[in-house]
Amino acid sequence: MRQAPNAIDFRVNSQRVPPGMPAAVQKATAKFLGNRAAVVEALGDGTWQALRQAGHDIRLHAIRHLDHYLEQAERAVAAAGGQVHWARDAAQARSILLDIAARNGVALAVKAKSMATEEIGLNHALQGAGIRVLETDLGEYIVQLKGVGPAHIVVPAFHLSKEEIASLFREKLGVEAPAEAEKLTEIARARLREEFLSAGLGISGGNFLVAETGTIVTVTNEGNGRMCTTVPPVHVAVVGIDKVVPDWESLTVLLKLLARSATGQKLSCYTQFITGPPRSRGETGPREMHLILLDNGRSSILETPECRETLLCIRCGACLNVCPVYNHVGGYAYGYPISGPTGAIFAGQILGPAVAGSLPFASTLCGACDDICPVKVPITRILLHLRQRVVEGDEAHPATAPLSLRLGARMGAAALRSTALYRLASALLKRLQAPFARGGWMARLPAPLSRWTLSRPFPAFGADFRRWWRDRPGGAGKEGRNAPGA
Amino acid sequence: MAIKAQLFITCLAEQFFPDVLKRMVGLLERLGVDVAFPEEQTCCGQPFFNTGCRAQARDVAARWLRVFGGTDGFIVSPSGSCVDMVRHHYPELFPPGSAEHRLAAEVASRTFELTQFLVNQLRVTDVGARFPAKVAYHASCHLLRGLKAREEPKALLRAVKGLELVPLPGEETCCGFGGAFSVIYPEVSRAMMEAKVRSIASSGAEVVAIGDAGCIMNIAGGLRRAGSPVRAVHLIEVLTS
Amino acid sequence: MRRAREEILGQLRAARDRPGPPPGPVPATALVGSRLPGDPQAELALLLKEIEGLKGVTRRIAGAENLGAALAELVGQEGVKRATCWRTPEMGAWGVAPALEALGVEIVPADADKHLVASCELGVTGVDAALPETGTLVLTSSPERPRLASLLPRVHLALLRPEVLRPDLHQVFAESREAGYVVLVTGPSRTADIELTLTLGVHGPKSLHVWVMEPG
Repeated sequence: MRQAPNAIDFRVNSQRVPPGMPAAVQKATAKFLGNRAAVVEALGDGTWQALRQAGHDIRLHAIRHLDHYLEQAERAVAAAGGQVHWARDAAQARSILLDIAARNGVALAVKAKSMATEEIGLNHALQGAGIRVLETDLGEYIVQLKGVGPAHIVVPAFHLSKEEIASLFREKLGVEAPAEAEKLTEIARARLREEFLSAGLGISGGNFLVAETGTIVTVTNEGNGRMCTTVPPVHVAVVGIDKVVPDWESLTVLLKLLARSATGQKLSCYTQFITGPPRSRGETGPREMHLILLDNGRSSILETPECRETLLCIRCGACLNVCPVYNHVGGYAYGYPISGPTGAIFAGQILGPAVAGSLPFASTLCGACDDICPVKVPITRILLHLRQRVVEGDEAHPATAPLSLRLGARMGAAALRSTALYRLASALLKRLQAPFARGGWMARLPAPLSRWTLSRPFPAFGADFRRWWRDRPGGAGKEGRNAPGA
Repeated sequence: MAIKAQLFITCLAEQFFPDVLKRMVGLLERLGVDVAFPEEQTCCGQPFFNTGCRAQARDVAARWLRVFGGTDGFIVSPSGSCVDMVRHHYPELFPPGSAEHRLAAEVASRTFELTQFLVNQLRVTDVGARFPAKVAYHASCHLLRGLKAREEPKALLRAVKGLELVPLPGEETCCGFGGAFSVIYPEVSRAMMEAKVRSIASSGAEVVAIGDAGCIMNIAGGLRRAGSPVRAVHLIEVLTS
Repeated sequence: MRRAREEILGQLRAARDRPGPPPGPVPATALVGSRLPGDPQAELALLLKEIEGLKGVTRRIAGAENLGAALAELVGQEGVKRATCWRTPEMGAWGVAPALEALGVEIVPADADKHLVASCELGVTGVDAALPETGTLVLTSSPERPRLASLLPRVHLALLRPEVLRPDLHQVFAESREAGYVVLVTGPSRTADIELTLTLGVHGPKSLHVWVMEPG
C-alpha cells in the first residue's frame, strides 16, 4: 500500500483494542443514546426533523459562502475589540498563539476542551516553549495526566475506571485520592481553581462563530469554558473556519440540536456567547481577546462538492455513540482526536488518503450515523466518495490502494460482464471447493478469505437456480426480454 | 392483466441460497404474478461500488441496465442491499442528462425488494404461511435504512400462522458483514457478529429471519461456529412454509 | 499572516465557483420548533420544576421585605462569610448587599483581586431572562453585572422577577443581539466524565439557588 510512514493503520489499531474498552464504550454510548432518545421523543419527531433540516440548511449555507461570512466575522470581532488572526495550517496557528503568549509573558495557560487545539498539537508546542498548559475539562485533565489523547469527543476519559483515575491522581498530583467520582471531582476542582486564578492565558475553542455579530459560542457543563475565557487576562479562541453560523438567530436552531444530540440534555449547563473582550471599563473579563481562524485543510474539503458537507458537523458525538464499529473499538483506533464516523470523514480528508486511507473503510455503511446526525451530514455518501478517492484517485489525490485491489476489481468486473464467464466461474468454484466443503459449509479457506473463516465458516457454493428454472415444468424459455407481441 | 415481475436473483443468493430464489418464484406465482427471469443477469455491481471501484461499478451497472432495461413489469429481488444499489446509487453513477442516467432512473423506479413488493405493490401481508416457532427478526441495514422498509418484513411475519415474533435486542444494529468490511477489518466484523449472535441467543428465538443474503452468510456462519441451535434463514423461507 | 488570510479566502472563493446547489439567502429559521407563550403561572411553575430537576434549589419570595430572612437561612446553611453581588438598580431596590452585610457577610466588589472574589462563598445576581422549558437563566454582562459573580463562588443565588420569563430561545435571541456577552445557565455545574457518574460542582458553582421575587 502506498502509504505514508505515519499512516493510520486501522486494522492494527483494531487488533490492539484493550479488553475493557468495548464494554466501557457501550456503557457510555448506551447512556447517551437513551437520554437522547427521551428528549427527542419529548420534542416530537416532526419538530426534531424540522430542526435537523433547518440545522443542515443553515450550516450548508454558511460553508457555501464561507469566504463572505469569515470576512464578516472578522469585521464584527474587530469592531467588538477582538483581534483576528488567520492560520493556514497547524504550524501557523501554533506560532500565532506562541507569539501572543510570549508578548504577554505567559508562564501558565489554562485550556477548555477544544478539538481544534488537539488537531494542531498545541499543548506540545506550548510546553516546548516552556509554558505550562493545563487541560481544564475534567476528562481532558485526566487523559492529559495520563499522557494520552481523548477517547471520545464529549467524554474523553470514559474508558478509565475510577480506580485508575484515583491511582493517576495519587501518582501525578501527590494527593490522597479515594476511588469515588465525587471526591475525585472535588480534587480536580480545587487544583484547577488555583490554576485558573494564576493563569496568564485562557485558551478555548469555539462551538460556533457567528458571522453577523462576531460572537464565539462555547458550550460546557463544567464551567471550565467560562473560567478559561473570563478569569485570565488574555483569552485566545482557536476556531476552525468551518464553525461559522451566518447570523445570530440561527444559533437557536443549532443549540436546540446540540445538547440533545450529544448527551440528551435539553441544554448544556453553560452556553456562553462572547463578542469581543468586555466593552466597558469596570466590567470583569479578559483585557485582551484573540480569535485564531484555523484552516488546516478545511478549505480543501470545500473543493469537493460531494464531500463539503463534512464541514457541517457540530461535534455532538451522536454518530460515535450509534456507530457499531466505534462501539467495538473506541476512539483511539481512529488515530485522531475526532473519531467515529465524523472523525473518519474529517481526518480522511484533513490528513489525506496516504495517511488516513484506512479510515473511510472502517465502516459497514450501515447508515445509523446518517439517521442520527442532527444536521444531516450524509456520512455514508462521503465515506463512499473517499473510498473511491483511495482506490481510483482524483485530480487532487493519487490513488493509494494497492495495485492488486485495482487489478482484482478489473478482473472481477470483466467476469461479471459476461454471463458465460460468470457461470463458468460459478461452476468452477463449486468444483474447487470440494476439499473444503462439509455439510454446506467451509470451515477454513485460503487467504484472503481466511480472514472470514477465522471467525465463522463460509457457505458452500451451490448455484443451481438457472438449471432449475430451465428445467421446471411449463417454465422453460420464459425470457425477460420483450417478446414480440408482449 | 396479471402483474409481471422480472426476477433479479443477485449474485450472493444465486451462489449460496438458491433455495431462496426457488421459493420466491413459487410464492410470487401463487400470488398470481407472472414471473420472468432475464438470463443474462450476473451482479448489480454493489461490491465494486462499496469498495471505491466506481469505474468497475459503472461498467457492471451499465450492463445490468442493458439486461433489465429492455424488460417490462416490476423487477423484484430478495436482497435489500442490491435493490438499494439500483434505486439510490445507479442514478449517481451516470452523468445527469445522459441516456444511462435516464434509463437508471426509469428502471430504478420499478425495482423492488420482495417484502416491499408484496406489501406495497401487491398489497398482501398474509401470504398463507404457517411457521409455528419463536422467530426473531434481524433488520438488515440497507433494507431498514436504505429502503426505509421498517414495517413491511414484520407485517408479513406477523401474519404467519403459529409464528411468535420475539423481540430481538439490538434488532437494528448492524451484524458486521458490510461486504468487504468482513475481510478488511475481520476483527471488528467478528466482534459485531458475535454481539449479534449473543443477542439472538438471549432472545429465546428458535429461528432468526433475515432479509439479506450477506447478513445470513455472516449470522448463520456465526451461529454455527458458536454451536447454537438457532437457525438463520431468509424471510422467504418462513413466508413459504 | 496577511498572506494566510488571502490564501484561505482565495481558496474558499475558488471552491465557491465549483458545482453544487446554487447560493441563496440565509435560510429563515422562522421560529423552527418554537414554543408558544403559555399561562404565566404555569410557565413559572415549569421553570422552577426544571431547575429542581437539575438539582437547583428554588424558592418564592413574596415581597422584598422577606428577602432578609431567606438570606439569613442561606448564609447560615452555606457558611457564607464573603459574597460578591451584581450592582443593578433592582438589586439595590431589593437591598441585597445591605441585608447580607447586616448578617455579617463581607461584600467583595467583583473588580477586586480575583483571589478575593474566588474566596467568596456566595455570588448573588439578577436574571435577565429565563426559559421555563429548559430551566435556563440568561445572564448578560456589564460593570453592574460582573461575570465572576455567577462563576467563582461555590453558591450562586439568582434572583428573578416573573416578568423575565420567555417562552423560547428565539425570544431571548431576538432581544440580545447587541449584548457583548451572554451566558445561559442551566443548573449547577456538572460532569459525567468519570465513569459516566453525574457529579455536581466542577469548575462553576456547586449549587444554584433561584429565588422568584414576587410582589408582597
